[in-house]
Amino acid sequence: MSTLLEVQGISVTFDGFRAINNLSFTIGQPEMRAVIGPNGAGKTTFMDIVTGKTRPDEGSVRWGEMGHSLLSMSEAQIAQAGVGRKFQRPTVFEDQTVWDNLRIALKKPRGPFSSLLDRVSAEDRTRIDEIATEIGLAHHLQRQAGVLSHGQKQWLEIGMLLAQDPRLLLVDEPAAGMTTEERNHTTDLLKRLARNHAVVVVEHDMEFVRRLDCKVTVLHEGSVLAEGTLDHVMADERVIEVYLGR
Amino acid sequence: MEGKSIFTRNRSVPIFIGLLALFTLGVTILSEGYGTGALSVSFTKVLGMTLCLCLAALAMDLVWGYCGILSLGHFAFFGLGGYMIGMWLMTARTEAVVRANLAGNVIPPTEAEVSTATALQIFSVVGAEDWPWMWAVSDSLVLSLLLVVLIPGLLALVFGWLAFRSRVTGVYLSILTQAMTLALSLYLFQNDTGLRGNNGLSGLQNIPGAEGIGQDRISIWFFWASALALGIAYIGAAWVVSGKFGNIVRAIRDDEQRVRFLGYRVEGYKLFVFTLTAVICGIAGALYYPQAGIINPDEIAPIASIYLAVWVAIGGRGRLYGAVIGAAVVSLLSTYFTGGRAPDIDLGIYTIEWVDWWPVLLGLGFVLVTLFAPKGLGGLVDLIVRKDKA
Repeated sequence: MSTLLEVQGISVTFDGFRAINNLSFTIGQPEMRAVIGPNGAGKTTFMDIVTGKTRPDEGSVRWGEMGHSLLSMSEAQIAQAGVGRKFQRPTVFEDQTVWDNLRIALKKPRGPFSSLLDRVSAEDRTRIDEIATEIGLAHHLQRQAGVLSHGQKQWLEIGMLLAQDPRLLLVDEPAAGMTTEERNHTTDLLKRLARNHAVVVVEHDMEFVRRLDCKVTVLHEGSVLAEGTLDHVMADERVIEVYLGR
Repeated sequence: MEGKSIFTRNRSVPIFIGLLALFTLGVTILSEGYGTGALSVSFTKVLGMTLCLCLAALAMDLVWGYCGILSLGHFAFFGLGGYMIGMWLMTARTEAVVRANLAGNVIPPTEAEVSTATALQIFSVVGAEDWPWMWAVSDSLVLSLLLVVLIPGLLALVFGWLAFRSRVTGVYLSILTQAMTLALSLYLFQNDTGLRGNNGLSGLQNIPGAEGIGQDRISIWFFWASALALGIAYIGAAWVVSGKFGNIVRAIRDDEQRVRFLGYRVEGYKLFVFTLTAVICGIAGALYYPQAGIINPDEIAPIASIYLAVWVAIGGRGRLYGAVIGAAVVSLLSTYFTGGRAPDIDLGIYTIEWVDWWPVLLGLGFVLVTLFAPKGLGGLVDLIVRKDKA
């Protein structure tokens, strides 16, 4: 396992509020990591920084074997480098079909001219069908994404993430709005992905995290409070205090 | 859905092209130049000009309806296209007149003398007598046609690059585009800018090389050219929005930040659409003003670009034919009400003069469409199509 993402001492302040405070975080490939923490702990801000949406006031974010800095790259460049993100609130393009949503996510050249001349190859078609089967939307490909149920939108967004074929997957609350059966399917999928990808899952549901069976990072007030197995961090006095509210 | 021609992929394309061809045939049969003469020359020109406005509206639908950029400056590109072809038309026409006048001289005039006399003829109205630099290629039709495409395209490219890379969006971008067209209009109003200030360029209906041919024929030629341009642009626009590019552009309209996280450089796509549509508007303007006969800076006042957006909103966004319907209906009604054709209504104590009341009517129509038919006039087509299927 080699280091894929190395975040060193980042801090960011919004209007005097320190959302991230001297946070360091490292993940390798392949690896699965769960990030937990109470509301306002900085989980989403952390993802915003890695994906280039927010610039930290200080610190460094290094990527890949060459250790390139992600801080000087645009959102699109970071995504092209191999960082994929699933949002907490499912954000799919509701006006377009499931098929179209998957098509634009598919890993292919991203320039305007390549898109203009893009033809759907047999390979693309197979890949989209595979993903659609995986996310249980094979029979919904021609439906508008807007008419899907909340859970199906979650799945579609996961499918788009798969289509992007990133090296690092940042997954924000994937199980929200899903049935128990779907949750199990999601954990299986994430575990399978973690065999050759780096996967960071932000989740509130402890049962879900337990099933992921991976290293856990606990965030609190913008920095890492504890790190280790779920049982290890749950036994930590400070974690119990801030997270479990006792 | 894939691998088929654009004619089968987008059902509106064959229908639109068919209707446009029928309309062109009908106008030709009724025209003075080639048919029964039921349509006057001036009305033929109105119809030809309407097609050019439809072309501009089509471009507006691409940039606003599909890509979500509410540009309120696209008529500036339309006007620039007109100015670019206008310089050639005016130079060539004036030069022919000057040559005819000097032909009676005992000593034949030199080229330099013809050039000087032509410049004097064109620019004496603004107190100048030399060729301004921007008329450098006005003696070449080919280069002037190139400018019709290049100048609006370059302006859009530079403006768009500055605006999009700074991530100016929404109402701020709309205001910025209004400022652009206002600045251009005010600049052109100056007498010393080289484009004859508020006099503008005139006599554009006189086509060099076609002196012996009457306006009855020329008007129908331009009608044909306008119809052809609209037809080609419609097919082209339908092709652009049909594939993956269209999916991405609509995705940008709905959530551009999400598109960035998918790895697309949103700015590049916006710039592409903005520039492409500016070029389409330039071509539309170059076809429009020879039919109008005159162009002046008032044509690109901010209100003109707002009208363009109103046409598309009334016609219905994001469906191409909606923009064409909106532009045709509203601009023809506008011609009817403001051209003195509509009879004034005498209410006894007050007379409704349509020239003054047309903007009120248009505003009312806009509000009604927004409230009761948010999909615009083009949305009515959905009702027909749905009945069709049921």
